[in-house]
Parts: sequence; structure tokens; C-alpha cells
Amino acid sequence: MTTSIHSVFAAAESGISDTIKDTLNALSVPEYFVSITVVLLIIGLLTYRQWTRPMVAVTLSLLFIAFYVWSALDENFFKIITKPDNIPITMMIVFTALVTWVAFRQAAINDARLEKGEPLIESGADDKVLVWPDLVYTELIAMVLCTVVLVVWAIVLKAPLEPPANPTNIPNPSKAPWYFLGLQELLVYFDPWIAGVLLPSLIIVGLIALPFIDKNPRGNGYYTFKQRPFVISTFMFGWMIMWIVLIVLGTFLRGPNWNIFGPYETWDPHRPAALLNINISDVFWVITPDWLGFEWWKPGLPTKAALGGYMPAFLIREAPGIVLLSGYFFVLPVLLAKTIFRKIYHEIGFTRFCVFWLLMSWMFIVPIKMVLRWMFNLKYFVAVTEYFVNI
Amino acid sequence: MATKALVTKVWIDPGCIVCDACETTCPEVFEVQHDNETCIIRPEALDAEFNKPLTESIIEAAEECPVDVIKFDTVEVDAADVPAAPKPAAAPAAGAADASEPATAAAKASPEKPASKVAAPPKPKVVDPAIQALLAATTVRGGHAVINQGIQDLPDSIKHMSKLSPDKLPPDARHQKVLQKSSPKKDETSRRDFVVLGALTVGWGSVAAAGGVSTLAFARFMAPNVLEVEDPKVRCGSLAKYLAMAPGEVNEDYKPVKPSGFWIVREEERIAAVSIICTHLGCIPSWLPNDRKFKCPCHGSGFKPNGVNFEGPAPRPLERFKIYLDGDDVIVDRSKKFLAMGPNDTAKWNDPEASIPV
Ligand code: SF4
Ligand code: FES
Repeated sequence: MTTSIHSVFAAAESGISDTIKDTLNALSVPEYFVSITVVLLIIGLLTYRQWTRPMVAVTLSLLFIAFYVWSALDENFFKIITKPDNIPITMMIVFTALVTWVAFRQAAINDARLEKGEPLIESGADDKVLVWPDLVYTELIAMVLCTVVLVVWAIVLKAPLEPPANPTNIPNPSKAPWYFLGLQELLVYFDPWIAGVLLPSLIIVGLIALPFIDKNPRGNGYYTFKQRPFVISTFMFGWMIMWIVLIVLGTFLRGPNWNIFGPYETWDPHRPAALLNINISDVFWVITPDWLGFEWWKPGLPTKAALGGYMPAFLIREAPGIVLLSGYFFVLPVLLAKTIFRKIYHEIGFTRFCVFWLLMSWMFIVPIKMVLRWMFNLKYFVAVTEYFVNI
Repeated sequence: MATKALVTKVWIDPGCIVCDACETTCPEVFEVQHDNETCIIRPEALDAEFNKPLTESIIEAAEECPVDVIKFDTVEVDAADVPAAPKPAAAPAAGAADASEPATAAAKASPEKPASKVAAPPKPKVVDPAIQALLAATTVRGGHAVINQGIQDLPDSIKHMSKLSPDKLPPDARHQKVLQKSSPKKDETSRRDFVVLGALTVGWGSVAAAGGVSTLAFARFMAPNVLEVEDPKVRCGSLAKYLAMAPGEVNEDYKPVKPSGFWIVREEERIAAVSIICTHLGCIPSWLPNDRKFKCPCHGSGFKPNGVNFEGPAPRPLERFKIYLDGDDVIVDRSKKFLAMGPNDTAKWNDPEASIPV
């Protein structure tokens, strides 16, 4: 009697957990995964006063821990998180959540106080700390803890020298160190010089340029969200989605042959995954005329130079992509400056708006391109392979 | 009755930064010795009577000293007693020094003074060359002349003498001691020179050695990390082996060949040598026989069996090497490549050297 109840229970349980796993596997196709995280981010930003309340936050973290532990019971998930290279990812998730919570908790408190006309948390704060004992003790403890953690880490998790590189036996998938997985993910969508050089430099230069673009003094020296919703949301998007989520995607969802696998799916290097990537030029010159079936417009990429040879064939071939991109980079900002960014444009002026748009456009072309790749197998807007211009 | 303060004694505390200010203002008293990195009081100026007429410019020099190390003592005298000695009108420029020299000093001027010295600040006007030598061997600090070196070796009487300030010495003792002090002690100097020279040699030698070694290491580092001479031609066995392959099949035997491996692929009409380097970022794709494609493990580029890219970020098909027949043997020559610029732009592969027709 008891045993049968037990087994029924177990069966139901495994049935449920299998269903959940299947659902999660199905949801981890990148278009869903990234959309869901974006939606979660938006919800998080809208409800920052609710989820940051200590009780809610603790409940959420407990739920997350439960989820993580339950996931770890899965063989494939367990393999991923216990790989020594991936230990920092778990830490990264935890710490990212922690610092985000700290910031938004303070912002929520401050915003509530501002509404009631009360002083900010920071206003009464005395920043001065005694070097001895306060600072020295803190540093000492931090130092000891770090040392202990590093020593234990180094002993427990091996980082062996592997055999010399061998072209016949390369790791599959070949993954970058965890902190570069976001960049490696970008390489799937962009030419190396864009994903590996231009975008990282833009991130660094952009972060440096921020204080010069955004001279709004509100939020300086105190936490707030209500006073700077646009700026903080943009930053959170760039950081959370374009960096953290991409690292998580690269760690948990990228498997052999750089194919997408669900977190609970076995990494089968022979799983067929056929994608046929197409360029905008193919869409315009081949697919569209094919579909329209006009007499006068035969499908086929242009291969002849025009204008007496002054306009090489690739310029004609890539014209649709060039038009699209110039619209995005040069026309869209004008439209935006006249409409939804009107206020910003008036606040920051022409030059700073140009820099602002330069950074924004490159930040947003990444998700745009990713979505187009996932949904329509778009390869490149403009592909001039001869000159390494593949955008 | 009005009194006036007159400088009787002037000295320089430690800390002089050798800035030349004092000598410019009052060259009669101060001499800046750049070689010794210090400023000294000229021996004549150890005499109170010599200083008194120069009171004004000494005080001026003391005030001008940027580090305030010039100190002096004064006496109060009746204004009437102030000697009406000629004073330099102002700080004389170096070149004009001779002209504006006080008469007292001019009287003692040495006739042998070389012409070349004209532009230099006035030298102390001392007759005795030994005193000149003393100047080189002594430093005046705190109002006392101290003979710097070699006091230990001297007879007691002389040691005693040497502790006196130069103006208290009897003339001949002064003369003799000065000569002794000013003539370099041969062995000591040479021994010291030797030690210094040795230390310098060892020091600079190791700097040079370290620099040289790291330059070499750097040069080696910049050199490509491959064997220098690698035959670009690989002999790949008899043609029959490849004729036996079905179209679309891939031979992986030469993937590990250094420095750049290749696959031999069989197309419908020809066989070709396809480089194993992914055209995206240089990883090495794997041949997946079941899927009949090359798949790159780094960012997921996929290539058809003939090397044409069809998925993922790789912008061009895999490159091909020159391939030809030598008798019955297939030779792949990696010194020549045939690049296709896109999936639809594979004209270069039709070059007779790019494949062997079957
Ligand atoms: S003015 Fe002072 S610091 Fe300058 S050289 Fe004379 S004593 Fe030395
Ligand atoms: S290196 Fe092959 S896909 Fe990037």
C-alpha cells in the first residue's frame, strides 16, 4: 500500500519535473530566452519597489536556490555547473543579483522618501571612517577571507595543463573563458573586427563618455530610480541583457558545434541543426523577385559593375543593406530627435546627441541583429567579403 | 648716535642647492662650486674686516638665497665709523665683474690670470697658489674650514692645525698642509677609482646583459612560432585512393599536417584540397559525416562538403590549396591558395591548379 503510493508519487513527481524540464528546454531557444529575460528585466524595473522589499527578495532568492538545486539534480545541468571553468558563473549570478538588489533597494527607499519630502538615506550619512580600527579591520578580514577562498578554490578545483594543441582533437564546443562568453556570442552574429574590436572598444569608450553625455546632476551621490528611469533602464539593458544574459546563454545553452541546447538536454555533437543563413542581398535580389514573379525582375545577384565601372558590382549587390543601415544610423536619429528623443536632444545639444546615438545605435544593433538571425536566419546586412566589411 | 649693523662673519648652513644666486649678488664672498655641488665662502671673506664693507650685498645675498642657508653675524657700530669702502653698485654680471671689482680685491689681482677666465665669475684674489689648492680641499661650513680627507694620517700637531680655520694657521704650516692635502694620494685614489670602475662595469654590464637578453627574447617572441622551413608541398599518395571516394566524401588524413592541414574532398567532377582553417576567426571545424558538413566549434559556422559556407558567421567558403598530379601521386602545394569570396563567388576554384578533374 505505502509503496504503491510512494511509487505513484515518485512517478507523478518525475513526470512533473520532466514536464518542467521539457518546457524550460523548449524555452531556451535564444529568441525565447532573451525575450523572457528582457520581459523579466522590464517587470523588475517597473516593480522595483515591490521585489526589493527584504521579505520578497529573500523569498525570490530562496525560490532561485531551490530551482538551482533542483536543476543540479539533472545530470546535464550538473555537468555544466560543476565544470571548474563554470564555477564563477554561479558566483556571478549570485553577486549580480545581490548588487542589483542593493542598488534598487536603496533607490526604492530614497524614492519613497523623496515623495514624502523626507531626507535621503545618504543625507545624514557621515562618510568618514576611522582608518584604525574600522578600515584596517575590514581590509584585514576581507584579505583573509579572499586568501582562504582562493586557496581552497585552487586546491579543490583543478586547472591542469592540457596536452598541446592538436588540430585533430579540438574541444567541441570551444568556449572562451566565462567572462568572454558574451563577446564570443557576439562573434556568432558579427564579423570578427566588429564583435571583437569595435564593440568592446565602444563599450569602454562609451562608459568613459557617459559622464560627458549625461550631465544631469540628479542621482549624483544618492540612489534613485524615479528621477533617472531612462538612463538606468538603458544601462540595465546593456549590462544585464547584453552582458550577463549573454554569458549565461553562452555557458548553459551553447553546446557542441556551437548549437543551442536546453540546459537539461544532453550535449549530442551529432544532433542535426541545419540553418541556412542568408544575406540581405540574397533577400532582395533573389528571394523577393522569386516571390513576386515579375517578368522584368529576374532573381540573381548583380555581378556587373555599373556607371562605367565606377560603381563596383558589390556596391550594387549590397545597396539594399547599405540603404537599411544608413537609415538606421543616420536617418533614424533625426526622426528620434524630432519625436521621442526631442527632450533629450534639447537638453544635450547636437554634438552630444551624435555621440549618444553612436553608442545607442551600436548597442541596439546587437539585439536587432540577433533577433533577425534567430527569426529569419539573417547573416549580414552588408557583406563585402573582399574588404572585410560584413555587418 | 646712529648705529649700523656690519657683517663680520658669514657662513653657509648645509642645504645649499647650488643655485648661483649668492655669487651673482656678491661674488666677493660667495663662490659656487658646481663640481662639489656646494657653495663656499671665499677664504678672504673669513676676515671680518673684509666683510664689513660688503655688508649690504651679503645681506642681500642672504635674503635672496632660496633655501635661506646663508647665515651671518653682525656688530653694531657707529654710523660714522662705517668705512666708506667702495661697494659693488649692484649684483655684477659675470662679465662685468672685473670692472666693478672692489679696489681692495683688485689690488691683489693675480697678473697671471688667464684670459679665458674673463667671462667666468671672479676667482678669489689670492697670491699663494697653495691657498688656491686649499680651496679645493676644504669646505667652509659653519664658519670653520675643515680639511676633508686624510686627517687620520697626519702628525698630531698638524691634525691640530688642520682643525683650525685657515685664517688662524701660521703661514708656512698652512702652506705645507695645503700642499699635502691638495696633492692627491696616489694609491688611495687609484684603489678607489678601481673599485668605482669595477662597480660601474658590473652594474652597467648587467644592465646591458639584461637588456640584450630581453631584446633577443623579444625578437624570438615576435618571430612566428613555426618551424622555419616547412615544405609547402605534401605528397598525398596515389590518385586511385581519392577516385574511390564517393562525391561529397571527405578524406581527413591530412588534417594534422603542420603548419596548415587540409581535407581532400571529392566533388562531382574533381578532387580538391580544402584548408582546415575556419574563415570566420581561424578555429578548426570538425567534419560531421552524418550531417555531411563541416561545423566550427567556436561560433557555429557550417560548411558544405565542398567548403562552401552556409550557416553561421563565416563570411567566405573554406580556402583551397593548389593540387596537382605528379605521375600518379597527388601533391598538395600549400604555398598557393584559391579564395572564394562568397558562396556564389567561387570562380577562382575553376582554376586548373585548384583541383584535379576526374
Ligand atoms: S643662494 Fe643659497 S642655495 Fe643658492 S648657491 Fe648661494 S647658498 Fe647655495
Ligand atoms: S572561428 Fe569558426 S565560426 Fe568563428
